[in-house]
Amino acid sequence: MTLRAMRCCAKLLSHSWAAGKDTDDAVRAGSGHSGQIFSIANMPTVVLMDSSLSMTRPVSVEGSEEFQRKHLAVHGLTMLFEHMATNYRLEFTSLVAFSSLWELLVPFTRDYNTLQEALNNLEDYDKTCLEAALQGVSNVVQQEWGTSCPCQVVLVTDGAMGIGRGSLRHSLQTLKQRTDDKKFPLPFPFPSKLYVMCIANAEEFQASDGLDNLEQLISLNGGEGQIYTMEGPLCLKSVQTMFGKLIDQAYSPLHAVLRCGNLASDVQVFPRPEPVLIDEEVDPIPKTVQTDLEIVGFVEIGDISSPPVISRHLVLPIAVNKEGDEMGTGTADETEEEPSTNQMAGKSPNFCVLLHGSLKVEGMVALVQLGPDWFGMLYSQADSKKKSNLMMSLFELGSEPLPWLGRMSQLGPASDAAENPYGEDDSKSPFPIQPKNKRSYAQNVTVWIKASGLQTDVQKIFRNARKLPEKTQTFYKELNRLRKAALAFGFWELLKSVAELLERECTLLPDSAHPDAAFQLSHASQQLKLASTGDSKYAAFEHNIAPMLTDFSGGGAERM
Amino acid sequence: MRMFSVSHKTAFVVDHCPYMAESCRQLIECDMLTKSRAQGVIPLAPVSKSLWTCAIECSMEYCRILFDIYPTKKLVNYIVSDSEVHILNNWKQEHQNTHELMAALATVGPPNPRQDPECCSVLHGLVAAVESLCKITEYQHEARTSLMDVADRVANRGRIICLTNAKSDTHVRMLEDCVLETIQEQNKLAAGSDRLMPIQQCELVLVHIFPQGDDTLVSDRQKKELSSVLTSEVHSVRAGRYLASKLNVLVQQHFDLASTTITNIPMKEEQHANTSANYDVELLHHRDAHIEFIKSGDLHMAGSTSRDSGLKETVTLKWCTPRTNSVELHYCTGAYRISPVDVNSRPSSCLTNFLLNGRSVLLEQPRKSGSKVISHMLSSHGGEIFLHVLNSTRSTLEDPPSISEGCGGRVTDYRITDFGEFMRENRLTPFPDEMVDTLGRTPIERAKFQLERHTRYWPMIISQTTIFNMQAVVPLANLIVKDTLTDEDVLTCQKTVYNLVDMERKSDPLPISTVGSRGKGPKRDEQYRIMWNELETLVKAHVGNSERHQRVLDCISACRSKPPEEEERKKRGRKREDKEEKDKNGKDSEEKSWTAESERLKGAMEREKDEQAECEIIKDSPDSPEPLNKKPRLATEEQQPPEKSKGPVSLLSLWTNRITQANSRKHQEFAGRLNSVNNKAELYQHLKEENGMDAHENGKATR
Repeated sequence: MTLRAMRCCAKLLSHSWAAGKDTDDAVRAGSGHSGQIFSIANMPTVVLMDSSLSMTRPVSVEGSEEFQRKHLAVHGLTMLFEHMATNYRLEFTSLVAFSSLWELLVPFTRDYNTLQEALNNLEDYDKTCLEAALQGVSNVVQQEWGTSCPCQVVLVTDGAMGIGRGSLRHSLQTLKQRTDDKKFPLPFPFPSKLYVMCIANAEEFQASDGLDNLEQLISLNGGEGQIYTMEGPLCLKSVQTMFGKLIDQAYSPLHAVLRCGNLASDVQVFPRPEPVLIDEEVDPIPKTVQTDLEIVGFVEIGDISSPPVISRHLVLPIAVNKEGDEMGTGTADETEEEPSTNQMAGKSPNFCVLLHGSLKVEGMVALVQLGPDWFGMLYSQADSKKKSNLMMSLFELGSEPLPWLGRMSQLGPASDAAENPYGEDDSKSPFPIQPKNKRSYAQNVTVWIKASGLQTDVQKIFRNARKLPEKTQTFYKELNRLRKAALAFGFWELLKSVAELLERECTLLPDSAHPDAAFQLSHASQQLKLASTGDSKYAAFEHNIAPMLTDFSGGGAERM
Repeated sequence: MRMFSVSHKTAFVVDHCPYMAESCRQLIECDMLTKSRAQGVIPLAPVSKSLWTCAIECSMEYCRILFDIYPTKKLVNYIVSDSEVHILNNWKQEHQNTHELMAALATVGPPNPRQDPECCSVLHGLVAAVESLCKITEYQHEARTSLMDVADRVANRGRIICLTNAKSDTHVRMLEDCVLETIQEQNKLAAGSDRLMPIQQCELVLVHIFPQGDDTLVSDRQKKELSSVLTSEVHSVRAGRYLASKLNVLVQQHFDLASTTITNIPMKEEQHANTSANYDVELLHHRDAHIEFIKSGDLHMAGSTSRDSGLKETVTLKWCTPRTNSVELHYCTGAYRISPVDVNSRPSSCLTNFLLNGRSVLLEQPRKSGSKVISHMLSSHGGEIFLHVLNSTRSTLEDPPSISEGCGGRVTDYRITDFGEFMRENRLTPFPDEMVDTLGRTPIERAKFQLERHTRYWPMIISQTTIFNMQAVVPLANLIVKDTLTDEDVLTCQKTVYNLVDMERKSDPLPISTVGSRGKGPKRDEQYRIMWNELETLVKAHVGNSERHQRVLDCISACRSKPPEEEERKKRGRKREDKEEKDKNGKDSEEKSWTAESERLKGAMEREKDEQAECEIIKDSPDSPEPLNKKPRLATEEQQPPEKSKGPVSLLSLWTNRITQANSRKHQEFAGRLNSVNNKAELYQHLKEENGMDAHENGKATR
């Protein structure tokens, strides 16, 4: 990446600097790759450009024409736009210029020519008032993307953050005196990274409190972001180095190799998966996705069953040329060869395409290992326009990210099992894994916190009591359930009451009742009474009251 | 929540002293029958729970919710205290279930009101709870062993929930002091022990329970730090439903839970089966399931309302009746176990049973703007119900390129079906924990190893392979990738090889792709050479697996056609007969492809085209056989050669040709036609012969 960035720079340097005209060509050359290198937008970018008068301060460069700081800023952004046009073509970017007021020059777009044009036609205004501009950014992003889409904000400034009212220092000083309707725009309500590109070198910067204020700004944004300053004299080269660092940090895709045994493909993973911290007790170290994505096996979509994921990424196959540089990026002389090379790439078989096709047809996902104790899944994702793509979703870090799959390290080849877990005719599945204990809602638990719960359980017994002897089994089942709960809760009074009720029920039996009913009722009543004494002989929890064996019931005959 | 936070260990201490036998004075009518029954019956007096019963059932409810949502790693130790301590379970995961606790509670029974109150105290239980918190859990043990040198960094925190009836605020202070003292003592003890850990942080939650109608003697107190190790809070609650809702609030606070109410659940009425009413069901789950609402600040917009308790909020989501049962991969950002608040109520059990039967329900976020947003999904996996959080915000993955536009996207003959089969063979299945093989490999390592073996030779496109397009090779191809072979397997492989030899002898055509090659495919013997080479490549890739694999390779080397040099030498001489064989063979392949499905038919047609093209060219070559020399066959075929020589054959003639040929196989050929020369059969041959014979015989006879 750095190599590539440097090459871009080299090329830019070879052109004479003239209001960005030549760089337009560079952008066009970049967009000439259309259709070959893809990226997706997952993190829209807002470029917040300082167009205050201080940006027009001249930079003294020996032996060449005079530059303004603004020119350096435009030069750096041109480099960023060119990079994105080449590598992040589906990224949405917008351009906001600010001074004492702010203006949305280009709404979110993928058209980098428009962005470049607006940048080239930038006018100069008055003083720097950052707070209003940040509020503007916040509004622009929320209107377009809501509050859950992560955004990157690239603030380009000379580091002179204004004086008096409206200056950043003033804003920060009055931070605590805000009412709810005039809150400081940071932290942004959406996940964000704030990158500050200072067209100033660190030394001159340290003299003022500008750096402190900007650092405070980043910490207000929850530490999400970074400040870049220029090293050495202010010149084209150092601005390129600075933007090169930003590109490396925030705009470089992940290059990886997707493997399935001996089958492999070089891929780009978009967007770059963020490092993950696990909330452990000891030394949390951010975990990053390894560049070897190793498929460990396959699972049916129905078995994986909409698993929770921490992020989604496009997996795009890339052709790697001999120098190990990916194609479609880099210098102009490469672009000339590209069409043929790319055609070759399109026509030579790629494992990703094969995998995608089969995953789609079979309705399966591939489980892929992303690092130690970290897994994800690959699957075919189709959009409404019948285009489909290979996607990778990342599971939560850990040895058991999905309870219904169990421990990932214990997943092995189905062919190793003594009996095919999928059945000979594919009618079975070893998933989901059944937990050892049933949850409360899956077992008939007894809860009497509400009086109605208790009343329902008592009623159930008597509903069955009136249908004796047909309902003998259910009658005793309900009776035993009540008995168990009453014993556990130490609710012996209830046992006595129900015993009395059963006794009374017995006396109230109509003449037409089956003679067995009376026997069972008095038997049940007597047993409950015994249990209510707490006598360990009768009040054992695991004991169940068995139906009385009578002459009328089936068992009675045997006994005789 | 960190793993070893205070919620890792919860010690319940329930007072079992005589005063807990007192009634809570909330009456429950359980004689419901009298209303509908005979008039003269005197209704039974209503029952009332004791303070003990209230404490037990509410603490059990707390545990029920806890175990539903955290089946592991959140542990409960249940302690009952009177004149002595009854410890009902321990920190072991297998003892973390309500059934076991209920059984243990049954043996304890209700407090004995006649027991001497002087020797009874909840203090015994509190001391036991502190001792218990010092005991190491299996999870802490595991973490300590895995961290070895930094084992001391594994934390030991815990919570004590004490359900008691205190006398006064002074009594409460006395209890707190006792806990603090015990912690200090125990920590000293634990410092010198391997099985014990000093307590770093302890949260004491004292719940004072008093009967309905009494004035409380103890005042509520917010959480307060008593020392760097101990914080304490006091809740003074009336028994019965007040206690229940208090513990419900506590379990939510202690375990970061939140509440969602599913509204508009259609349910059939018991009495009127054809009408349906809508019900609500309240569920508890980890509060992260609401993270989107919390972040965007529209928790209230999302339909959140205060519940009766006024202490906690619930988010209302609308039921969307599922239309299909199709399996779909939703973009889901979280899945959290649920527990119904009112587990036994009819609406709750209807909902949970519906889900446990395998249906999923999408949940809609009610919005004032009117746009419908599906934000959650309820679904069960293995008897556990999860609330899935679905991504409902605008996706920035707008308009991504199709895979067909990228690298390898133009290739059209990927072995999609074969790879699908490969994926099915490499499906995963869970193995028991102790399952490692003789090489000490975990199941997942074995899975990777298997993938490695299965892909040692795996051409990605149809035109790159011959053997994988041949049904005849399947048995060998399936077996050779195995780690070990049985003698029977070797036999099967050998049979496959013999079968191929047989095919070659008969000169059966091979499904060799002609894509990329100009004009025609390779000649038949060349085809077989390619096939044998490919088969050897496949088997050679596995020859290191075992000696039996080597035997398969040996078999191939022995059986395969002669090495190329020799072949080359013989080539010219063999050409003529080869050609003949090929033609004879055409017929066989005809039938094969005719009976096969359309895909193969197409392939065969292409093959035939190739063959014909081949014929054409061979005819032009100096030593090509004369057409008439071909073995006389069907009439139609006889008419074919002149047509062929004219140039390309029309599809119709190809088709008719094929059908005629196929039909011709169904009857026996006329003897005359078989023996015909130039399609002309001589009639009455037998007469000629007979006559000659007769003459001869006659001559003999006359002689």
